[in-house]
Amino acid sequence: MFQKISIIAFLVTLACIVLHRIVVPSNKRLPGNSTSDRLSIIGMLRILVYLAVLFCFVVLAITGFYPTLILGKHITGYLVMVHATFAPVFAVCLAVLAVMWARRWRFTGGDWPLFERIVRWATLANNPDGYTFHKSSVLGKKISFWLIIFLALPLILSIVLSMLPLFGTHWQEILLSMHGYTALVFTMVAILHTYFIIRT
Amino acid sequence: MLKRLEERIDCTLRKGLILTGFLCLLVLCLSALTVCFESEAAGAETPSKLLGDESDGSRAHPTHLIPLVAENEDGEQGGKIYPDDDPLLPFSTRWTCGECHSYGIISKGWHFSAADPNISPGRPGQPWILADARTGTQIPLSYRSWPGTFKPEQLGLSSRAFVKLFGRHTPGGGAGELETEDMDEIMREYVSGKLEINCLSCHNAEFAHNQGESFLQIARGNFRWASAATCEFASVSGSAADMPDTYDPFMPEPPEDAKKVPPTIKYRETAFDHENKVNFNIVREVSDNRCYFCHSNLYLEAEDTEKWNMDEDIHLAAGLKCVDCHRNGIDHSIIRGYEGESSASANHLAAASSCEGCHLGEKDSSSPVAGRLGAPVPEHRGIPVVHFERMTCTACHSGPWPANKTILTKTSRAHRLGTIGVNKSHEALPHINSPVFAEQENGKIAPHKMVWPAFWGIIKDQDVTPIDFEVVKETVGQVLANEKLPVSGDWPALSDENVTEALKSLKGTVEGEPVYVSGGKIYSLDDSGELWQEEHKAAEPYLWPIGHNVRPAAQSLGIRYCTDCHSTDEPFFFGDVAVDSPVVTGRGTKKMVEFQDVDPSYARAFAFSFVFRPMMKIVCLCSCAIIAVVLLLYALKALACVVKVLAGSD
Repeated sequence: MFQKISIIAFLVTLACIVLHRIVVPSNKRLPGNSTSDRLSIIGMLRILVYLAVLFCFVVLAITGFYPTLILGKHITGYLVMVHATFAPVFAVCLAVLAVMWARRWRFTGGDWPLFERIVRWATLANNPDGYTFHKSSVLGKKISFWLIIFLALPLILSIVLSMLPLFGTHWQEILLSMHGYTALVFTMVAILHTYFIIRT
Repeated sequence: MLKRLEERIDCTLRKGLILTGFLCLLVLCLSALTVCFESEAAGAETPSKLLGDESDGSRAHPTHLIPLVAENEDGEQGGKIYPDDDPLLPFSTRWTCGECHSYGIISKGWHFSAADPNISPGRPGQPWILADARTGTQIPLSYRSWPGTFKPEQLGLSSRAFVKLFGRHTPGGGAGELETEDMDEIMREYVSGKLEINCLSCHNAEFAHNQGESFLQIARGNFRWASAATCEFASVSGSAADMPDTYDPFMPEPPEDAKKVPPTIKYRETAFDHENKVNFNIVREVSDNRCYFCHSNLYLEAEDTEKWNMDEDIHLAAGLKCVDCHRNGIDHSIIRGYEGESSASANHLAAASSCEGCHLGEKDSSSPVAGRLGAPVPEHRGIPVVHFERMTCTACHSGPWPANKTILTKTSRAHRLGTIGVNKSHEALPHINSPVFAEQENGKIAPHKMVWPAFWGIIKDQDVTPIDFEVVKETVGQVLANEKLPVSGDWPALSDENVTEALKSLKGTVEGEPVYVSGGKIYSLDDSGELWQEEHKAAEPYLWPIGHNVRPAAQSLGIRYCTDCHSTDEPFFFGDVAVDSPVVTGRGTKKMVEFQDVDPSYARAFAFSFVFRPMMKIVCLCSCAIIAVVLLLYALKALACVVKVLAGSD
């Protein structure tokens, strides 16, 4: 079941990316990606963290999904070891990523024009001068970023809590399923996020 | 002319009528005969139920005040036994108990059906082990088709010889009642009788029942007398084995040799009532003591192996009896209690009576069945579900706690425990090692007992078949006659030279290429007569699962932490399994992991990773905390924005 759902989910994600690529033309550099960051040490560190998260994610996704999708069985053997070795590094990097990039990817009034308009209509507020609405890929990046951060919690907790003597067999099964499905959504979101980053 | 023609027609018609009538009569007779045979055949297939085949629903024990019935010289039902009969014959369970219980149905039961090829062998179980220190032999035997065991006839053992060796720890029947075409065997069988099913082995609740007597009587060849000898009101003396082939136990003549005593039975006078009936204290629910006679295990963990040092199985301690789980009906298809037994067993309670059946309940059951007999439903907190896919319940809960090295283990059947003159030495053959955590056929790891086969055989196309044991005794026994046998009953210390000499002697005696199988290897002579050895499939150890004793949850593997097993120095994966062999150079150890279909380096690396496991959990939990704080912070900020907007302060 999980195998089928995963394959469909990945195909849908891929289709979405292709569709987006066709429908929405490539953006030029947008505000929020200033070149000054790259020059500072903090900026370089931020990018390094991003790359570290991306690398860990790739390793975890391959070791996690390869046995399930390709071999049709649970993760086992050396793959478990690699998976379990990179998992804590990934968790740490995600935490650092959240700290370092949260402000950068916070939502602003201009991120969601429709929502903005509704709020302004509801509150009868005026549009302040010089306020520009961001394009969809920036919004996509922000949403996917926060989804990644949010999904990281059930993703990590579902497996760590199952290692503690808290839950019985029934809940162990639930936690394991939760880990699998959360990982699936997380992977989809991460792929989209990476796509948006590359695209802009 | 016309008249003559009429007469001829009349004559022809008459003949035709007579012929037709005759044919009709013939058809009628044949039909009647066919119907008669069919009904007889149908009657044979579905015999009518006897009085004791089906309970009337009363849970009370029926009183068994019954006459004793003997077997006659044709092996059929004889007459009733009276205390003043001359000669006094032993009662036959087939005809005494069989009066009310269908002996034919019972004889298909698990305990009696080993020699029946139509009965599914099920999961490999404990074999009979033919052990002989003098010839360096230790070979697992079974009439059941368990891979790794050999059929007795492969070693030249007739069913009678087999029963003489191992019938002591059976409830009779099976090989004891096999038909033979060998005239010598038939003549001996007339003297000694067949070893009938001894119903009393299990169902006699009398304290004075002496199952150990069965060993003595079988050793004396008193098969016909064995059942009666075990019960509390009969005693048997003499030996059928001492009697000549011409001896007639139904019309006994005094033996020529006055020192030899023919088999004789005496019944306690008070056993018979005024109607010459005898009261048997028969119970349906067999006591554990009866099971223990054949199913005791002695784990030689320490020097002091007295019973009081050890705890009983947790189920017995909780008040259950063996037969509460190991149940059967009149067909005696007793539940063995392993996972997946329902596919091999005719017992409809097989699935419900396994560990999972009682403790977890059957998944497809329409009503809740978990917790049967008060079985606690386990939570298994913190145990990843993969453990239940890769391990049996017994892996964590049964057998002795694993030690750094497997321990020698004695069983009733292998070491004839509970009988007279047992060698109590720890090293007495056969050498059974346990617990060995090995992978089963179903891919799950379970604790096992293990025996390394050691025997002399012939190799052909990589298949090794054992040489007739009598031939081995004559040839190899003679070659190794000067080797010192330890008083403990342990192996003699054989050298490579001993094996070479024995193989050379066999080469001149048997056809084909003789080999010696021992310690996981086969030894053979090359063209130049030099000894060479290699690991071989035929030399692989035979393993059978440990079911009992079940330890309480608080003493199960993993109760303290994962490192009960997942540690580089824990025996579950890295314990030493003794490689047992009479050849001194062939002795050694293997690692437990080699029996588990697990890559040893992976197992070691995985076990080592558990050093960092607590740290990993802390790191992950701290990371989660930081992420949660960031999420909370920005959620609050978002809320502040919304509040601002809603407050109109923009």
